[in-house]
Amino acid sequence: MEKKSVFRKFLYSQKAAPYVFVLPFVLTFLIFFAYPIVDTIVMSFQKVSGGGNEWVGLKNYQTLLNPVFYKALKNSILYMILSCALMIPIPMFLATMLNSKAMKAKGFFRSIMFIPALTSVVVAGVIFRLMFGELEGSFMNQVISFFGMEPMVWLRRTVPVWIALLLLCLWRWTGVNMMYYLSGLQQIPGDLYESADIDGASSIQKFRYITLPLLKPTTVYVLTISIFGGMAMFTESYLLFNGNNSPNNVGLTVVGYLYRMGLTQNNIGLGSAIGVVLLIIVLILNVIQLILNGTFSKKGD
Amino acid sequence: MKKKNTVLSVLLIIFFVIVALITILPLLLLFVSSFRPGSDLMRYGLNFDVNWATANLDNYQLLFSGQNNYFTWYKNSLVITVVQVVLALFLSACVGYGFAMYNFKFKNALFACVLVVMMIPTEVIILPLYQLVIKLGIMDSMWGIILPYVVVPMLIFFFRQYLSGIPKDFLDAARVDGCTEYGIFARIMVPLMKPSFAAMGIYQGMSSWNNFLWPMIVVRSQTKITLPVGLQSLMSPYGNNYDILIAGSCFAIVPILILFICFQSYFIEGMTAGGVKG
Amino acid sequence: MKRKLVSSLLCVAMVATMLAGCGGSSDSGSSDSGSAEDTSSSDGETQGTNTFVDGGTELSLWTFQELHVGFWTEMADKWNEENPDNPINLTVTTGESHSVQQKLLVACQAGEGTPDIADIEIGYYGSFLKDDYLLPLNDVVEPYQNDVVMSRIEMYGDQEDNWYGIDFHLGASVCYYNMDIMNEAGVDPSTIVTWDDYYNAGLTVLEKTGKPMCAVETADLFLPQLMMLEKGAQYVDEDGQPNIATQDHADVIDFIRKMIDAGICEIAPGGGFHTEEWYGHLNDGGVASIAMPLWYMGRFTDYCPDLNGKMAIYEIPVWNEGDTREVLQGGTGTSVLKFTEHEDLAKEFLAFAKLSEEGNRYEWEELGFDPIRSSLWTDTSITENQDNKFLSYFQTNPFDILVKNGTEGLTAPNISGSYSATYNVLVSTTYANAFELSTDQDAMELLESEQSTIVYDE
Repeated sequence: MEKKSVFRKFLYSQKAAPYVFVLPFVLTFLIFFAYPIVDTIVMSFQKVSGGGNEWVGLKNYQTLLNPVFYKALKNSILYMILSCALMIPIPMFLATMLNSKAMKAKGFFRSIMFIPALTSVVVAGVIFRLMFGELEGSFMNQVISFFGMEPMVWLRRTVPVWIALLLLCLWRWTGVNMMYYLSGLQQIPGDLYESADIDGASSIQKFRYITLPLLKPTTVYVLTISIFGGMAMFTESYLLFNGNNSPNNVGLTVVGYLYRMGLTQNNIGLGSAIGVVLLIIVLILNVIQLILNGTFSKKGD
Repeated sequence: MKKKNTVLSVLLIIFFVIVALITILPLLLLFVSSFRPGSDLMRYGLNFDVNWATANLDNYQLLFSGQNNYFTWYKNSLVITVVQVVLALFLSACVGYGFAMYNFKFKNALFACVLVVMMIPTEVIILPLYQLVIKLGIMDSMWGIILPYVVVPMLIFFFRQYLSGIPKDFLDAARVDGCTEYGIFARIMVPLMKPSFAAMGIYQGMSSWNNFLWPMIVVRSQTKITLPVGLQSLMSPYGNNYDILIAGSCFAIVPILILFICFQSYFIEGMTAGGVKG
Repeated sequence: MKRKLVSSLLCVAMVATMLAGCGGSSDSGSSDSGSAEDTSSSDGETQGTNTFVDGGTELSLWTFQELHVGFWTEMADKWNEENPDNPINLTVTTGESHSVQQKLLVACQAGEGTPDIADIEIGYYGSFLKDDYLLPLNDVVEPYQNDVVMSRIEMYGDQEDNWYGIDFHLGASVCYYNMDIMNEAGVDPSTIVTWDDYYNAGLTVLEKTGKPMCAVETADLFLPQLMMLEKGAQYVDEDGQPNIATQDHADVIDFIRKMIDAGICEIAPGGGFHTEEWYGHLNDGGVASIAMPLWYMGRFTDYCPDLNGKMAIYEIPVWNEGDTREVLQGGTGTSVLKFTEHEDLAKEFLAFAKLSEEGNRYEWEELGFDPIRSSLWTDTSITENQDNKFLSYFQTNPFDILVKNGTEGLTAPNISGSYSATYNVLVSTTYANAFELSTDQDAMELLESEQSTIVYDE
C-alpha cells in the first residue's frame, strides 16, 4: 500500500506528468515507426524468406537498376512535378477570383468546390475509370466527339492516361487547395490594398506585389503536401487501372512497384529496397525545401 | 464605378457557375447512372444518355436486399472510423497538450520526431509494418487497421498549436486549487479544446473513412473489409457487380454529404487544418 | 513484441483510470473500444460454413471467388453424409483475389495463420510450389487416377511426380464462334483446321462483314499462350528460369502481328477478355471468334445475354494439320497447406470434392467448369440436359470436343519457378509493346529486352 502511493505520487507529480502525456506518441513512434524504418533498411540488404533471412549485400539495389523501376521512378517524379504545376496556380487563381469584392454567393461556391474532397478516392476512381472508358458512349469520348474528334482509347496510351490521372487529381484537390489559399488571402490586411489603390496600382500590380508574396507561406505548405502526395501516389493509379498492372506500366509508380515486388511477388527484400529509395528521395526533397524556404532558422524556436 | 462592379460580378458568377458544374459533373454522372442496369454501363459506357422510361430503382433494391456484403462493409467502416476517431483524438490531444504545456527533457527531440513522422509517407514502411502486424497477431482484424495509426502526428501538431495560445498561468491557478495534472487536462483543457476536437474529428474521420491502401493490405475476409476496399473488390473480373458498384458508390457519398451540409464550417476547418498556420 | 503491445495498452488504460481519479468521467473512451471489439469478433456470419455437425473436425478454406463458397460448403455436407464417422465442419473465407493470395503467401512465410486448404490462382502458384508450402496429394489422387484427366493434376506438380493441387479452372481451350457473323460471311468453322485456314477465313469475314475475326489481349496472355503451347513452347524452362525470348514465341508474335496488320485481329477493347469494355463489345457482336478455355462459357452466359443461341464451340486451329489440338489453359488450383493439423482429412476431403462424381456434377452444373472425370463426358444425363444453361446457350456441344481431345497428351502451361514473375511482365509490358505500342520492333529483339526486366529471385 505504501509503495503504491509513492508510485502514485510520482505519477501525479508535475515532473512525471508530461512524460505520461507524451507516452502514447513515444510508444507508437517506437513500435510503428522507428522499428519498421530500421527493419526495412535491414531487410533491404537481405533475402527475406520463411526459413530465416539471409544477407545478400547490395543485390536488391542492383536488381533495382532495371527499366521497369526507372519507369516507375520517372512516372512518380513526373506526376509530382505536373501535379504541383497544376495544383498551385489553378487553386490560387480561383481563390483570388472568389475572394474578390465583386463576387457574390462566395460560401455557396466554396462549398460546391469542396464536395469532391469528400468522396472516397475509390468512388472517384470508379467514376473516372468509367468516364474514361474506351467505348464510344463513354463520357469523355462523347465530350471529344462533341468537338469533332474520333472516340479514343484513353487508358492504354501514355498521354491520355496522364490526362486522366491529372484530371482526377485536379478534381479531388482543387477545392481543398483553394480553401488553403482563401484562408491565406483572408490573413492579408486590407489596408495594404487600400494604400495600393491610393498609389494608383492596377489589379495585376496588386496581385504581383501584395498578394503573391504574402501568400508564400500557403504556397509553401501546398507545395509540401503536393510533393509528398505526388511521390507517394498509388491509389489513384490502382483504381484507374483496376489493379496494379497498367498497359506497359504507364501508370506504375514507385509505391506501385513496391507493392508489386513486396506484396504481389512476395519479394520483401526488394520491396524494402524500393522503400528505402523512396525514403531517401523524400528526405532529399525535404532538405532542399527546408533550405530554399530558410525554415531551418525558424524551426528552432 | 458601380456599374463596372456589377458587370464584373456577373462575369465572375458565370465563371464560377461553370466551374461548379464541372466540379459536380462526375458525381451527377454517377448518380444518374445508378438508375440504369449495370449491363448498360458495359455496353454503352458511363454517360448522361438515360432513358428515363426504363430508369428504375432496381440497383438500390438489390443493394438493400441484404444479399450482398455491402452493409457489412458499411458497418465495418463506420465502426473503424468511430473507434479510430475517438482513440486518435484522445491520445493525440494528450500528446499535444504535453508538448504545449510542459517543459521537459527531450521535448524538442521528441517534437522533431513528430515532424519527421509527418514528413515521411507511410507507404515507405508499409512492408515492415505489414510484417509487424502479422507478428502481433492482429492481421485481418480491425485493430490491425487502427493501432499503427492510433496516434496521429498531424493531430498532435494541431493540438499543440491550438493550445500554445492558452496562457500557462491558468495551470498554476488550477494547481493551487488542488487539481492534479491529469485533472487539469480532463476538466479544464478538454472543454477548452472542444472546437478543435470538432475540426480534428472531421479531419480524422474523413481519412479513416476513405482510407484504402492500408485496410486493403491488412484485412482479408470479405466480412471484415471496409467499404472502400469492398467497393474496389466489386470491380473484379469474376463477377457482374456493376449494379451494386454504382448504387453502392452513390450511397457511400450520401451520409458524408449530409454531414457536410450540416457542419460545413467544421469540415472546411478540419480538412484544411494543416494550412492554418503552417 | 506482443508483450510490448499489451503493456502499451495497459499504459493507455492506466492514464484513463488516473483521469477518472480526479473525478472526471473520462472512461467513455475505453468502454467504446471494448464494445467495438465485441462487434468485430461476433460478425463473420456471411462466411460460408456447412451444416454444423457435432464433433466434426474443424477445417478452414480460403478462396477468392464467392461462387466457390457454395461449392465447398455443399461438398462438405455431402462428405458428412458419406462419412458419418469422420465428419468435418468447414469454414470458407473469401476475399479479393490479389489480397487473398498475398496474405496466404505471407501467412505461409510466417508459418502460422494459414488455412488447411486454399484456392490458389495460377499466377501465384509457382511461388507456393518453389518454397514447399504445399502437401503432395498423390496418395489421395491415385484411387481416382483412372477416371480423371491426369494432365489437369500433373500441371500442379514437380519433376519428382508429386502432385500438389487439383484444378478449378484449368480448361480445355476451344474456339467460340459467333455464328451470325460466320454465316453472314459464309464460312463454316468446322472447316478451319490450321491457323492459316483461320487467317484466310478471317480475311473473308472481314471482307463480307467488316468485322475482325478475333482479338488479342494486351493485359493478359491467352491467345499467345495457346499458340505457344500448341508448339510445345513454354514461358519458363525446365529449371523454372524465365525463357520468353525464344524463336517459337517470336513466331507467335509475328503471326498475331500479321493478323493485326491485315485487320482480322483487333486489340481487345479494355485490353483483356475480362474487362467491361470487352464484354460489351463481345455482346454486341463486335468480333467473330475468340479462343479461350471452356470455363469461359460462364462469361458468355453472365455477360452476353444477346448472344444466347448464336455461339458455337469448335476446336482450336493448329499450326500444322495433325498437330495436337489439346491445350489446357487457365488454372486456379486447390491445395492443402503443409501447416495443417489435419493432413489426411484435408487431403481426402479435397480429393472427394474435386474428383468425385458429385463434385464434378456440381462444378459443371453450377459453375460451368468442364468435368475432370472423363466418364461424365458421355453421360447423357449431363451432356444431353437441355435445361443446363451452358448447353442451351451454345449451338454445339462442348462435350464433343472433350471426347475428341481425349485424356492423353494434353499440353498445360509450366507454372513452376519464375512463372509468377514472368507472367507479370508478359501481361504488363510484353504484349502491350508487341501488339500495340512498339509494333515495328523486331519480335526477337523485343522479347530479349522484355526478358531482361523479369525480376526472379530463386
